[in-house]
Amino acid sequence: MKFTPTVLTEEEERLRDDVREFLAAELPPDFRPGLGMGAGANREFSKKLAARGWLGMAVPKEYGGQARTAVDRFIVTEELLSRGAPLGAHFVADRQTAPTIMKFGTEEQRRYFVPKITAGELAFSLGMSEPDSGSDLSSVRTAGTKVEGGWLLNGTKVWTSGAHQNDYFAVLCRTSPFDGDRHNGLSQLIVDLRAEGVTVNPIPFLDGGHHFNEVVLKDVFVPDDRVLGELGSGWMQVTSELAYERSGPDRFLSTFGLLKYFLAEHEPSSLSSEQQRVVGQITARYWTIRQLSLSIARTIDEGGAPAIEAALVKDIGTKFEQQTIALIRDVVDIELDPHQGSMFELLLAEATLSGPSFTLRGGTTEVLRSVASKGLAK
Amino acid sequence: MNQDQSAIASALRAILADHSTQESVIAAEGPGFAEEAWKVLGEGGFASISIPESAGGSGGDLADACVVLHEVGRAAAAVPFAEHTLLAGWALAEAGRALPEGVSTMSTRSSESLSVTAADGGAVLDGVLTRVPWASNAAQIVVLADLDGAAQLIVVPTASVTIEPGRNVALESRDLVRFDKVSVPADAMVAAPASVTAEALELRAALSRAALISGALERVTEVTVRYTAEREQFGRPIARFQAVQRHLVRIAEQSVSAQMAVDAAATNAVTGLDFFDIASAKIVASEAAGIVSAASHQAHGAIGMTKEYELGQLTRRLWSWRDECGSEASWSRRLGAHLAEEGADALWPRITTGLAPERRNEKVAGR
Ligand SMILES: Cc1cc2nc3c(=O)[nH]c(=O)nc-3n(C[C@H](O)[C@H](O)[C@H](O)COP(=O)(O)OP(=O)(O)OC[C@H]3O[C@@H](n4cnc5c(N)ncnc54)[C@H](O)[C@@H]3O)c2cc1C
Repeated sequence: MKFTPTVLTEEEERLRDDVREFLAAELPPDFRPGLGMGAGANREFSKKLAARGWLGMAVPKEYGGQARTAVDRFIVTEELLSRGAPLGAHFVADRQTAPTIMKFGTEEQRRYFVPKITAGELAFSLGMSEPDSGSDLSSVRTAGTKVEGGWLLNGTKVWTSGAHQNDYFAVLCRTSPFDGDRHNGLSQLIVDLRAEGVTVNPIPFLDGGHHFNEVVLKDVFVPDDRVLGELGSGWMQVTSELAYERSGPDRFLSTFGLLKYFLAEHEPSSLSSEQQRVVGQITARYWTIRQLSLSIARTIDEGGAPAIEAALVKDIGTKFEQQTIALIRDVVDIELDPHQGSMFELLLAEATLSGPSFTLRGGTTEVLRSVASKGLAK
Repeated sequence: MNQDQSAIASALRAILADHSTQESVIAAEGPGFAEEAWKVLGEGGFASISIPESAGGSGGDLADACVVLHEVGRAAAAVPFAEHTLLAGWALAEAGRALPEGVSTMSTRSSESLSVTAADGGAVLDGVLTRVPWASNAAQIVVLADLDGAAQLIVVPTASVTIEPGRNVALESRDLVRFDKVSVPADAMVAAPASVTAEALELRAALSRAALISGALERVTEVTVRYTAEREQFGRPIARFQAVQRHLVRIAEQSVSAQMAVDAAATNAVTGLDFFDIASAKIVASEAAGIVSAASHQAHGAIGMTKEYELGQLTRRLWSWRDECGSEASWSRRLGAHLAEEGADALWPRITTGLAPERRNEKVAGR
């Protein structure tokens, strides 16, 4: 296991400046920031990013991308996250769906979906978890039955973030019976969330908001050409997808707004020594974790596949996001109110309520640790 | 727990099982107050435990009241027992007054931002009180204030103040109250006896939150143990995985620690409030609240993040109560300053005073 520190090139630094300038113009001073991936969805904002060429950056130009690097995407993403920008409409498609379709999809799927994703026109959700399949993802029961020209899909997905706002979701399901190895016979189907037989039921989130859903699939017809990649390769595709998901800036910057608004709302001379200590402690760790995460993006650009490192960084990053909440809370002494208070206070309440999910979504800490520890043992 | 306390606990647990169901806890989030549960507690005589019978209460002591709070915390019931009974009811009873009709509340912060001046034999109150629990649901707010050098308890009807509703993250009422030159007549005031001080109120309030936390922690432990035994992944209950077992152990350790601290502090408080005890109990309970919330959510996976599931009703309370009446950080600082002043030689002896001997005897005698 090796993490090599990396330096941004001049060109990469220029990209950063451009993004900062763009955000300064697009996000007004009274803009209400969100927390990381949980920030709001705003299709207009996503389209503006697309217009600058900042969605699907690593996708080849002929599919609407910019043929840029994972590091470039990292830079854009960390700038957006550090401002709490509303990236909910494009985040999953940009991070996950577009690369998956590029890697495994048919040529027709690439031409149909990817340009629309890079234009900010199509939003995707992930249809992996089910009531009885969480960490043990290969036990999914949603199943497709072969019919003329396609598949009839039946089953129930849960925790599907954004299904009520998005256009499609990639559904992991069983397309051939169990043959002794549970990892065989699974496929990913691209399902239109507005198709007949699809019912999206909200599951109220802990803070009372509408974030994720139950999606019930009843005899949903999915044409053959919407099988993502190869029939029966779903497990391999999904697990390689999780590697994209793991270690990016979205895994350590969710609570950055807390530190920023804490500083913004306190006179420097009014900080107690404890407050100063916490600010220093957190900042030093941001600096370190960011470099770990960035070095993974660089390794990917150099052709590496740092899956174990990515799992480790996700674990470090998401735990740190939670610790940040605890450390800052320790030096402020306020009672939380979800509806009123300064920006900092509102963010602290929001972070407290959504914080537990940081170490759940995208694979729990426990399961990641077992991935990482197996890797360490090698 | 002595026999009386066990009887209180089991009777209350049965009542709250019927009147503080998951559905009613969610329903109470609208008004910020569980009116039905509060009514039932009143009818059963539980709402005035620790207030002497001579003042219209059901009798009992502060430790008995902490048993009530423990059960209220377990059941996630949004009822004003701490403010109504432990603060307002107690203060008035000490001054020889009976509790007025309806919900009473009391703020421990009145000296901060409220000016009280004498006028026409009564008084005029001007200023603001922040984060007053249950103000929107109360009939009156009891204020402890200094009037011409003498401490007074003043009963102010909520009809005469302006209330801007606020909530904690469990959506219980925590309101801003504006006193806009509110006049109260002489009979709304009574001289506060020496026992009723701002410090005493603050300690009682902190103890109340520690007791609520201990109840919620106990319930979170049960819910998490049950869920992880039922939930299967990879073909077996997740409780069989070492990583999950670690969460369970952590939760249980924290929960029993908080329980112990609260129990000792409450029992000792029966014969006199003690700063060290109550600060320690609040520190240990508040810290446990954070650790247990995190571990229990982790052990539950996504189901715990839903509004309807019981866990969130408890963890949102833990996240609220750990800050209310002083967070562990603020009590730690105060306790640290206090210990520094007492000197190094006093440290070990103080630590080894768990349940104070004279009080332990009573507790044993009570069994
Ligand atoms: C905010 C949020 C958004 C989400 N969005 C989506 C989405 O859009 N699409 C989607 O498909 N899913 C989504 N999820 C679901 C997420 O991927 C799952 O929560 C996660 O995979 C864990 O599954 P589970 O919740 O069923 O927990 P379980 O798998 O039941 O786990 C419960 C506990 O048991 C532990 N455990 C389980 N197996 C083992 C083991 N072998 N060893 C050690 N410990 C173990 C876990 O680590 C955890 O602590 C979302 C979740 C959250 C919280």
